[in-house]
Amino acid sequence: MKILIAGLCAGMLLACDSGSKSEEQALVDAIDISNGDSEAVSAEVNDILHRIPSPLEISVLLKESGKSYNPAFLNSPDNAERYNTNYRKALNLGIYGTDLGYTNIYEHSQDGIKYLSTIKGLADELNIGQFFEMETIGRLAANSDNLDSLLLITTQNFNNINHYLQTQNRSGLSVLFLTGGWLEALHITCQVEKLNPGNTQLRETIGQQKIILESVMHLLSLYGENDKNMTALLGDMETLKKSFDQVTITSVYKPSTYEVVNGVMMVKDNSTCIIDITDADIENIRTATETIRTKITS
Amino acid sequence: MKKVHVFVFAFFLFSGFNSTAQCNAEMLSTQCIPKLAPGFNFLKSYKIEKAGKEYIEYSYVFTKGTQYMINICEPGQSVQGITVTLEDSERHQVATNRINDQYATSIVYSCNKVGIYYIKYTFDNKGDYCGGSALGFKR
Repeated sequence: MKILIAGLCAGMLLACDSGSKSEEQALVDAIDISNGDSEAVSAEVNDILHRIPSPLEISVLLKESGKSYNPAFLNSPDNAERYNTNYRKALNLGIYGTDLGYTNIYEHSQDGIKYLSTIKGLADELNIGQFFEMETIGRLAANSDNLDSLLLITTQNFNNINHYLQTQNRSGLSVLFLTGGWLEALHITCQVEKLNPGNTQLRETIGQQKIILESVMHLLSLYGENDKNMTALLGDMETLKKSFDQVTITSVYKPSTYEVVNGVMMVKDNSTCIIDITDADIENIRTATETIRTKITS
Repeated sequence: MKKVHVFVFAFFLFSGFNSTAQCNAEMLSTQCIPKLAPGFNFLKSYKIEKAGKEYIEYSYVFTKGTQYMINICEPGQSVQGITVTLEDSERHQVATNRINDQYATSIVYSCNKVGIYYIKYTFDNKGDYCGGSALGFKR
């Protein structure tokens, strides 16, 4: 109903042609992402948002498995000026967040600073720029000895933003950051796999995203009824899901074993998990991912 | 003088012996982050406030081939009374920090099976606990 009323107002505004450009933009932004999560939706969204893995996990995997840094995989900071709605800003903020993590992990601080600056700009436009203390982050980014602190502070910033948006009943934005960030991590993994065909670790990493995609789609579905952008994005994710349909994940549970070492419980998981993914599956996933990412970033 | 004694008694009664009133779970969860072992990258911090609840639960998708560390911080130096249990998506318990009546301050879990895992904090019956916890990972 809220969207209908906003839509009617928008129609009247455009028909009368009396509004200024900024007023029109403000209205577009207002109907861009539905606000005002219900309490039940908010609790469920919160639970699911917390469980989606950080894209940083994939960047660490890529670096530690010896794959070289490749900025061509990333979304250029120059594209940021194209993103003129809150929906596109939020999705691309997530994408740039993953790109920033990637540059940080590979210690390419100059690229990292460009991404940071772009993120700060988009965050300001979404009224969440206060979470980025540019002076502190810039100082940390300038020295590779500060990598741990830099990763910590950027992770905390995104966690704090999500928490803040939940308290403001604006979790829809968090869902978009998360979707963009996750999609970018999948895109980077697919591109690295293309250069390293047959790499089991990369293939399994791509296959495991099937489980995360289910959570992402569930999140989007909670907003789909009231938001045309979310509905469209969910439709794109359904296409991506089809490319995962043939991927099978077979797990067998076995009790863990443990030992205490210096007060830390070291637990060995004795369960097994076989991820069955073919070359054709990977190609389909890569193609579907690229199609969605191009829509978002272009 | 009697009034001063009554005041001091009341102060200890309502603040000194009431861990919830004193406890700042937000602060404790932040303090837990640097206590992750070297090599672990921070992922999430969690507040643990019993506040009448039987347990507190969070979830996270763990991936195959990744090591995860979960630690607990209480107001004192050691962990006394908060148990963290890790359950897989089928609710099998795969790890805990408690053996008999001993509590480890953290768990390191080497994950072989991708899926949603539940990080569950439970309490013994001796108090109204609160604390913080952090989750980290390494490959």
